[in-house]
Amino acid sequence: MLELKDLFFSVPVTDGNGGTSMRTIINGVNFAFEKGKFYAVTGPNGSGKTTLAKLIMGINPITSGEILFDGNNITGLSITERAKAGISYSFQQPARFKGITFRDLLAIAAGTDDEATLLALLRRVGICSLSFLDQPVDTKLSGGEIKKIELATTIARSPKLAIYDEPDTGIDLWTIGPMVKLLKRERDENHTTTVVVSHNRAFLEAADIVLLMNQGQLAYMGQLEGALPLLTDLSICNYKACGSIDDVRCFR
Amino acid sequence: MLDALDKKLLRTVADLEGIPKGAYNIRKNGKLLARDVSANINIETNADGTGIIVTIKPGTVNESVHIPVILSQAGLYDVVYNNFIIGEGSDVTIIAGCGIHCGGLEPEGHAGIHEFQVGRKAKVTYVEKHFATGPGRGRRTLNPTTKVFLAEGAQAEMELTQIGGVDEANRVNEAILGPNSVLLITERVMTEGEQTAVSRNEIVLSGENSRANMVSRSVMKGDSKQNFYATMDAQAKCFGHIECDAIIIDNGTNETIPALKAKHPDAELTHEASIGKIASDQLTKLMSLGLTYDEAVNRIIQGFLK
Repeated sequence: MLELKDLFFSVPVTDGNGGTSMRTIINGVNFAFEKGKFYAVTGPNGSGKTTLAKLIMGINPITSGEILFDGNNITGLSITERAKAGISYSFQQPARFKGITFRDLLAIAAGTDDEATLLALLRRVGICSLSFLDQPVDTKLSGGEIKKIELATTIARSPKLAIYDEPDTGIDLWTIGPMVKLLKRERDENHTTTVVVSHNRAFLEAADIVLLMNQGQLAYMGQLEGALPLLTDLSICNYKACGSIDDVRCFR
Repeated sequence: MLDALDKKLLRTVADLEGIPKGAYNIRKNGKLLARDVSANINIETNADGTGIIVTIKPGTVNESVHIPVILSQAGLYDVVYNNFIIGEGSDVTIIAGCGIHCGGLEPEGHAGIHEFQVGRKAKVTYVEKHFATGPGRGRRTLNPTTKVFLAEGAQAEMELTQIGGVDEANRVNEAILGPNSVLLITERVMTEGEQTAVSRNEIVLSGENSRANMVSRSVMKGDSKQNFYATMDAQAKCFGHIECDAIIIDNGTNETIPALKAKHPDAELTHEASIGKIASDQLTKLMSLGLTYDEAVNRIIQGFLK
């Protein structure tokens, strides 16, 4: 249902002498996501997981390659058009507003401000406290609270494809289990193709397929067991000594 | 008595569908159009005929006064001096506002000088909306001044809004706070085109344990310009906060100058200020929920000025 063909993404970087060169963040990714499956994308920091997710949503424009969604080429589509086509995205660091409440966001996401529909959505995502609905989505919310709102607005779109970028950041230990359950239920009941970028074992274990990224490429695609040796391998120190400074050590 | 245009202006600035219930004073083109008083609220013309005196009896609760001004006469600049005497222990809402409809080339304007004497432990909510419209190219000016004197334990909550269409606005807000009094001012101003708006605020925290919070939200569209000045002058153990945020759309410009003056060692004063374009993460989020870029901008501004 989602096909990535020869995806490349580079950004210009300035070197110390004021010159610029291109740095490749996504370095030739090819993959086909199947409808109704749960994918976990993992890998070391800086391996390109979030960038890949943002390319799918159209937040960053790809340098070259193609993205097909339900057979249509969406490479040139805007964020809005991709959202309308059925892709939904949960940000790692959700935006905070002034004067916009959870109710407002949920109503925009659901396309209706009908009270019964919004309450049904709250039940669906497992937010029991109704008073939460009129909370402003501002800087006063805790990291965990805003992530729950982010998750709810993503699901409220009833997407064909839902992308979650580290949904467990700031979430307490007791909520991760129910969150995994919720995403699985969305997959099972609504056939939502689910892509979760995460380091958390709970999501890796829940996934049908684990994608392991390293240096902008897919290093592994398959069951979690097969990924484990590679994950262990990649978790060794990747700090590099820089030139004359020879006392850079790994502190992990 | 009210024509369609008057009704539209009244609806916009005072949320009124027609003549309100309770005490009211409607001024049209510099003259009294309609007035009514209630058992607890008296409205009379002042001695020199330049405005009104609204007197609220001590202990009056849950009552409101509407005092809208509408202008639709080309070339008129209407100046009005209004006094509000709010009796001890009362709790009332005053809804003011000025709507200008400009049909021609000549300028129209209004300056409302409002002075509030808020009695001991009284509470007043003051809502003021400014709006200008019409096909004419005449310059529309609104220069409001509010002066607030809070007695011991008094509270004033002021919502000052300039919705749109005003070419030039020079606003002055002054307040002197007595002991244990509380002042909350929320000002929202949107300008567009070549419009300018200046807001000057002087808040003197003179009484012990007085508290003031000034919130300003500005949106500058087109080539418009807004300046915001606010001073909290603390002369006793007190708490004061200024929060001023400005969003620039297109080529708007803004100067924001909050000033804190602690003249007492136990004064606590804080401010936060920001000027900038709409944060891109906010736009991206709303677009990812299916809004277009323009819809997302409008929704963010609407919330910001809410």
